[in-house]
Amino acid sequence: MQTLINNYMFVGAVIMFGIGFMILLLHNNLIKKIIGMNIMDTSIFLLFVSLGYIDGKEAPIIVGGVLHHNGYVNPIPTGLMLTGIVVAVSMTAFMLALTIKLYELYGTIELDEIQNIRGG
Amino acid sequence: MEKLGMILPLLVPIIGTLFIVNKRLISDKNLTKVVAVTVIINFVCVVYSLFFNDLTAVHILKVNAFLDIYFKVDQLTRVFSLLASSLWVLTAFYAFAYMDHEKRHRQFYTFFTLTLAVIMGVAYSGNLFTLYGYYELLTLCTLPLVIHPGTAEALQSGKKYIIYSFGGATLVVLGMMMLYAVTGDMSFMAHGIVDLSLIEGNRDLLKWSYLAMFLGFGVKAALVPFHSWLPNAMVAPTPVSALLHAVAVVKSGVFSLIRMTYFIFGTQTVLALDVTKYLMPFVVVTIVMGSLLALHQDHLKRRLAYSTISQLGYILLGILMLTPNGLLGAMLHLINHAVIKITLFFVVGAITHMTHFKYIHQIRGIGKQMPITMICFTVAAISLVGIPPTNGFVSKWFLGLGALNIGNFLYIIILLLSAFFTAGYLLPISVTSFFVSSKSEFHERDGYQAHYETLHEMSDDSVRETTREMANDMIHEVAHEATHEATHETAHETANDTIHEMANDTAHDTAHNTLRNETVAARHSEDGEAGATGAKPIKLEPPKGMLYPIVLLTVIIVGLGIFPNTIINFLGVVIQDAF
Amino acid sequence: MLQCLTLVTHNTASPNLVKLIPLVSIMLLMLSAFMMPLLKKKRHLFGLAGGALAILMVLSFVNVAYIYQNGGYYFDIGHFPAPFGISLRIGEIESLIALLFAIVDLMVTWYAYYSLEKEIKESRIAFFHTMNLLLLASLLGIVFTNDIFNGFVFLEVSTLAACGIIVVKDKKTNIKAGLKYLILSSLGSGLVLMGIAFIYSLSGHLSMDYIHEAMIANLDGKQNTILISVILFTVGLGIKGAMFPLHIWLPDAHASAPSPSSAILSALVIKAPVIFLIKVFYRVYGTQIIHETVILDLVLMFGVMGMIFGSLFARSQKELKRMIAYSSVAQMGYIFFAIGLGNTLGVVMAIYHIVAHALTKSSLFLAAGSFIEQTGFKHIEDFRGIGKEMPVTLGIFTVSGLSMIGIPVLPGFISKWNLAMASIQIDKLYLLIFLLISSLLNASYYFPIIINGYFGEENLDGKVFLSKSKPIKQLLPLIILTVLMVLVGFFSGNLIEFIERGVYTV
Repeated sequence: MQTLINNYMFVGAVIMFGIGFMILLLHNNLIKKIIGMNIMDTSIFLLFVSLGYIDGKEAPIIVGGVLHHNGYVNPIPTGLMLTGIVVAVSMTAFMLALTIKLYELYGTIELDEIQNIRGG
Repeated sequence: MEKLGMILPLLVPIIGTLFIVNKRLISDKNLTKVVAVTVIINFVCVVYSLFFNDLTAVHILKVNAFLDIYFKVDQLTRVFSLLASSLWVLTAFYAFAYMDHEKRHRQFYTFFTLTLAVIMGVAYSGNLFTLYGYYELLTLCTLPLVIHPGTAEALQSGKKYIIYSFGGATLVVLGMMMLYAVTGDMSFMAHGIVDLSLIEGNRDLLKWSYLAMFLGFGVKAALVPFHSWLPNAMVAPTPVSALLHAVAVVKSGVFSLIRMTYFIFGTQTVLALDVTKYLMPFVVVTIVMGSLLALHQDHLKRRLAYSTISQLGYILLGILMLTPNGLLGAMLHLINHAVIKITLFFVVGAITHMTHFKYIHQIRGIGKQMPITMICFTVAAISLVGIPPTNGFVSKWFLGLGALNIGNFLYIIILLLSAFFTAGYLLPISVTSFFVSSKSEFHERDGYQAHYETLHEMSDDSVRETTREMANDMIHEVAHEATHEATHETAHETANDTIHEMANDTAHDTAHNTLRNETVAARHSEDGEAGATGAKPIKLEPPKGMLYPIVLLTVIIVGLGIFPNTIINFLGVVIQDAF
Repeated sequence: MLQCLTLVTHNTASPNLVKLIPLVSIMLLMLSAFMMPLLKKKRHLFGLAGGALAILMVLSFVNVAYIYQNGGYYFDIGHFPAPFGISLRIGEIESLIALLFAIVDLMVTWYAYYSLEKEIKESRIAFFHTMNLLLLASLLGIVFTNDIFNGFVFLEVSTLAACGIIVVKDKKTNIKAGLKYLILSSLGSGLVLMGIAFIYSLSGHLSMDYIHEAMIANLDGKQNTILISVILFTVGLGIKGAMFPLHIWLPDAHASAPSPSSAILSALVIKAPVIFLIKVFYRVYGTQIIHETVILDLVLMFGVMGMIFGSLFARSQKELKRMIAYSSVAQMGYIFFAIGLGNTLGVVMAIYHIVAHALTKSSLFLAAGSFIEQTGFKHIEDFRGIGKEMPVTLGIFTVSGLSMIGIPVLPGFISKWNLAMASIQIDKLYLLIFLLISSLLNASYYFPIIINGYFGEENLDGKVFLSKSKPIKQLLPLIILTVLMVLVGFFSGNLIEFIERGVYTV
């Protein structure tokens, strides 16, 4: 229990990841699926950023003079997550585009209904 | 240059095939000439490379100890390649005469020649890897020959053939993998490459390896649980059936078994592994069941097919005895059975070619129409039973000696019993053809005329009906017999087979043949001879292209029986290599 | 010949220039990809793509030759040394895979020149090329990179681009298959990213070598975290690499895509994640840690299941392309099987099989594509007697099929053989049975097509010899792929030796 509380970042991230994962997997509605994917990705972003956070340190943004290098939190995870967000956004955009296309062709965005349409 | 000289037999048929495939270069008319030239040149090359070339081993492509395409000549190669290439020449000439009423000649001759190249490869292989490669190619090359008629039935049989063959080949690979993991080498050496010292610690691996390979090669050698592709493959044109049975497919299975047992494992190792006790039951069942099943076949080619299964059992028995006499007997029987079986098939093919008869009950009295052919058949049959002075006797003699050497009387009893069965299924064919006269119900000229007319007028339906009735009767009879004599399975199988064949063939054949026979007779009586009673039988001897190979083979059968010493001396070297 | 060429490169090109090749290849592809929308004419489009791929092929070849001579090297992008900057590591395996990808993609593009506009709208051709080149660039990135986060980004790019070449054909099924692929794939990406987060929390590094060092240094008490992260990676990359129970997106996507896309998807796209997985296993975690976890056994099990069930599903398919797609699942099973064996020979054979299968499957898909294009049929039933109408194409199909079945000297046989040897090495004899069953199953669905294609009276009825055959110049890329495939089998000894030199110390 204590370990769980100590690693509350991990626990929170994993729970959120699980929620996103389940939505992505279980829902038939494509928009919901995409939202699930975004929740999943966000959980990882939060986890990553939290990993770089050191209690009592400042964000590595230089405002009015440079502190000692021990004074900042680790900037790398934050930087990585910028990339991650870009990737997630482009993924989402592409998926939404395809969803629109699919709606035009099938008239629905429910996957099970699409599956039932013959010749589909 | 010497290298080339050695592998010439492997290349000549391929070059020949390239010519045959090319439509622009070789016209349909010249096709047979090219085939003839190819097989003859190939025979000459075999003789040259075996006896006049000093080089006996050549690596074509050696990447590592495993991936090594390697050809080698030793006495066993000589035996097998001479046998194959000489029988190929005879079959080629027979096929020219036989195939004239079949379709797609070019496809047939392409694969006919290509198979020769593959068989030469099997014979010349210097290690298990090369042998296995050619073994797979053999399946692929013979498949088009088996399914040559192109009917749905042929495709079905082809499917069965390929499934069995690939199943077998897969078992062989399994064995090879285990063998290679132990030895790291797969070349054929006299007395084997698996040293006795290797057995310690690897006993199970080697044992499984031997069993897997034996059963795997056994599929092609028609070992009993895996035999059923062979009778099915009878849909092929007769020259192909003859080749499949005599040399190409089944004998390459047997050849591979000899290679594997004596040149990879070695006698001592196999004895030390003590694996024969697991395999002997298979072989014994093969011999007995093959003969029993043959007894019930009414279809000529199928009867011969089951006979092949039984006779191959002899050879496998000889191999597994692991005694010099046993191996000698097996090798002799390999050669003798090849010659005998090819003769029998040629005769059956000749009958079918001339009369379209396919069943034994149809050939009553045919001996009077085709006396020379049927005499040859009788000689070959006698030889297969093992009656002196024919070659079949010689090989069975040595097999018996081998069994005596290991003091196992059961084998001798089985040999004798099976010889009895052999007589039981082959001699009735001769008897039927010579001594049972064809039924003739109408003796008067007018009667003939009337019957001739009615036959003509008879509607298709009624013909079909009568024949279906006949077929049904026959099925009942056969099934009944089978239940009495053998297991239930046999009964089912035979009954099923018969249903199929009868329904298809008998309907047509009997109707047509009655018509035909009686037409002939009617024509005779029209010629002014008073009635058919005094008429001479019509000569139906096959064309020379078919008759001469048959007669030549019969002479060889008797010759080998009277003067067996040359060939025994020739085989002696193989025995020395093995023991 | 390779030696001859190495001499040439050794004398002419300075080693530093050679080390630029990986980066230059990726840049070249990306640049040409984004120039595509500027061009209009089909000839120009194909000219640019073909030119870029041809240059890439030459560069990759020089790279292989250099590495054959001098061994692998690191390249720091922008001269930032490893822990801070992103570095590429190019060893024997990476260079070989890059060459393979370049050749296959070039051949596919060549083939597409004659047939692409029959399958997709003419206006989409530029899009196809953009996506194709982008895809190749990202795949090369995945293969080359030494930085796991960089690898993740490239994985995402490859997913998007791969989806692009599926939906380039504007049909219902394509959109559906593309979306299915995208959803499952993003799920996989999420898992991979989570795995990266775990690894980062363990080691504080992203560069593979540094992660490895940090992990080896303090292992105690972190077994669980390691196991979780390994599983996350395996499942995530397993989805992208079509590991058996996670393959469900593959048949739809590969079967509905235009044939050139199918060839690229089956030959390249599912291979790169596997290479990445091998790198994660052996460069990030290292042999010692990997062998302590159960992950290899799991991968082995899924591999075996893929080999058997993939073939069983393939057997029951009615459409030719779906059958080949399921056969890909089975073949990926072999690769996962090889990884799961966990010894050096296993990993070597995984790489070898990747090479062999890429060549074989691309020629199979292109041959199937030719059948479909020329006849308009899709179902296996309808291809009876095709051997008379298109003998050369079916011949190519046959050779590739025989390799799948495992006829000696062809690469499929070499893979099976060495996999068996590797299984015997680790005393798991029962695995041989699965290998052989799967090869029998392969035979059972390739042979009927070949036999019914060439033989059978009723099958050939009404067919005219060569009537639908493509001209030989259009078949040339297929023939080249097949010849290469046969050569890979014949020179498997040298190839395996080369791979063995570069295999991460197992």
